[in-house]
Amino acid sequence: MIIEDEPALNKSIVEYLSDRQFLCESVTNYADALEKIEDHRYDCIVLDLMLPDGDGLKLLEIIKADRKTEGIIIISARNELDDRIQGIELGADDYLTKPFHLPELSVRISAIIRRNNLQGNNLLNFEEIQINIPAQSVLINNNMLAITRKEYDLLVYFIINKNRVLSKNAIAEHLWGDDMDMVDNHDFIYTHVKNLRKKLLQAGAQDYIQSIYGIGYKFSVI
Amino acid sequence: MKLFAKYNRFNILASIIIFLLGCFAFFFVMHKVLVQQLDRSLTVEQIEVEQYVKEHNNLPEVVNTTDQQVHFTETTTIFPKREITSTQAWDEPDQDYDEIRVLNFGLRASNRYYKVSISKSQKETEELFKAILPIAVGMIALTLLAGFFINRFFLKRIWKPFYNTIEQMDSFHLHAQHFPRLRKTGINEFDAMNNHLNDMVSRVKQEYQSLKEFTGNAAHEMQTPLSIVLNQTELLMQDEAILKSHHAEIATIEEAAQRLSHLNSSLLLLTKIENQLFIMNEQVEWDILIKKRVKELQELITSQGLSVSTKIAPVVNISHRHLADILLGNLLNNAIRYNYNGGAIAIRLNDKYLMIANTSPLPMLDKGKIFTRFYRHPETKTEGSGLGLSIVQQICDVAGYQFVYTYNQNMHSFSIHFSNKEL
Repeated sequence: MIIEDEPALNKSIVEYLSDRQFLCESVTNYADALEKIEDHRYDCIVLDLMLPDGDGLKLLEIIKADRKTEGIIIISARNELDDRIQGIELGADDYLTKPFHLPELSVRISAIIRRNNLQGNNLLNFEEIQINIPAQSVLINNNMLAITRKEYDLLVYFIINKNRVLSKNAIAEHLWGDDMDMVDNHDFIYTHVKNLRKKLLQAGAQDYIQSIYGIGYKFSVI
Repeated sequence: MKLFAKYNRFNILASIIIFLLGCFAFFFVMHKVLVQQLDRSLTVEQIEVEQYVKEHNNLPEVVNTTDQQVHFTETTTIFPKREITSTQAWDEPDQDYDEIRVLNFGLRASNRYYKVSISKSQKETEELFKAILPIAVGMIALTLLAGFFINRFFLKRIWKPFYNTIEQMDSFHLHAQHFPRLRKTGINEFDAMNNHLNDMVSRVKQEYQSLKEFTGNAAHEMQTPLSIVLNQTELLMQDEAILKSHHAEIATIEEAAQRLSHLNSSLLLLTKIENQLFIMNEQVEWDILIKKRVKELQELITSQGLSVSTKIAPVVNISHRHLADILLGNLLNNAIRYNYNGGAIAIRLNDKYLMIANTSPLPMLDKGKIFTRFYRHPETKTEGSGLGLSIVQQICDVAGYQFVYTYNQNMHSFSIHFSNKEL
């Protein structure tokens, strides 16, 4: 469920996530959110802290008081360390500062759902590629693939956001966090993507990584 | 010139003039009084002489003293009228001329006419003058002396509140959180001044505060619209038809939104540091932080073929971990970004200072400008936000460090001097 008061933002999140085979419901205010939370159970709640009719942190407290097992991601315009700490202390699983990239949100949601999923589905599959998340290992046709940490992160990011065009900026921010802001050199992404593609191909996988008009990349079956 | 010195100059001049005038006036009044007294005693003398003549119809015997002399001169007619004049007479014992007062009047005795001259010495008045002069000079000297001592001991105390205020105003900084109110002094003028200054300071601080809040709020308010731009662009990217014909535009929008978002978060960070929302109460192990950062950036460093020389001693001090990390990140990123391929980076750390130096195609930077927000050297090719060094400077300000830029032997070096913050 998406709780975000800004309609345009709410819509784009829902649109992006729905395409990712997530079933999304969305509300734009505190009262509606409260009603939905009481009646339904969700895998994950994306919660904006600043709502027109109430405080998101309060909502978080209510959810946690109900002992609901939802994973919660806070999205906030406030990048205050205190807010972040308070949110996490109150039981939020993650904290994303606006503005964020949609693929990033998608990865975080996947991670939370996976973590909360008691059935223990810790495997991420894409065609002949199988990723064991807890072990951080990649199998291609059941053969272990030797891969660096960054390449692994990149592959997980690609697979979770498969069939989507991912901009270099979004990828950079995912791999390097805010530091990349200082390093506006996209050659690194190119290098990493090139290496990952080479390794995948060598291990016998298909070529799934496509370069899209110099904007970014798309991971999909051609 | 000190206010009092100026005031004193006029004051002393005026008192000298007044004293001199006073002395002259005193002298003339005294002179007049004495002369009048002299004239009266001359008149008494005249009456005595006239009485004697009336009783005896003969001239009296006179015994002349130096003080008083009486002379009779026979005249043919009656001496017309009584007159008193001042004149000079040879004083035999003193061998000089003395002022004397002479009374002339006519007299008729035993059918003869006489002119009688009674003269008295005016020596006393001269002596009076001689006595007054040193007194006047002495008094002027005393006044000056008193003025000097008053200035020396008393005025310094009186003006103390004034100098206190000046000192306090001198230490006034806009970004300082607390500025002590100027205290009451008990002197109306100083109190008025202090009150006005207090009002002014609080007004200025209020304005500054609201300006800061505005910056912070503006940056905050921009986050959500920015998210919309960024996310909608990402959605647009997913549409293959649109992407095919408009990929360049979409890339530009995304790039711009990204830059704006980073700029915004830098501004927010700056505002937060300025507002002292970070409290320096954490133990920061600088050496470990640096090593971690360098490791993270290793990829970049190798790709540019930079050689890094480090001389890092373990340093632990009280600071803020997050800020220290940002500070290091900014400095190291700059050192890499503004370097050329195959350049060098030097990192030095000891408990006195941290220095990060790098080679660069850029010439020496303008020391006055580098800490200015949004300043970028005109020759820079890479795009930075122009806020990196401002953030470092701001962190140093808050932490009480000194941030120094030097340039020698083609190395741009940025050093941070930890002062009185060591454990």
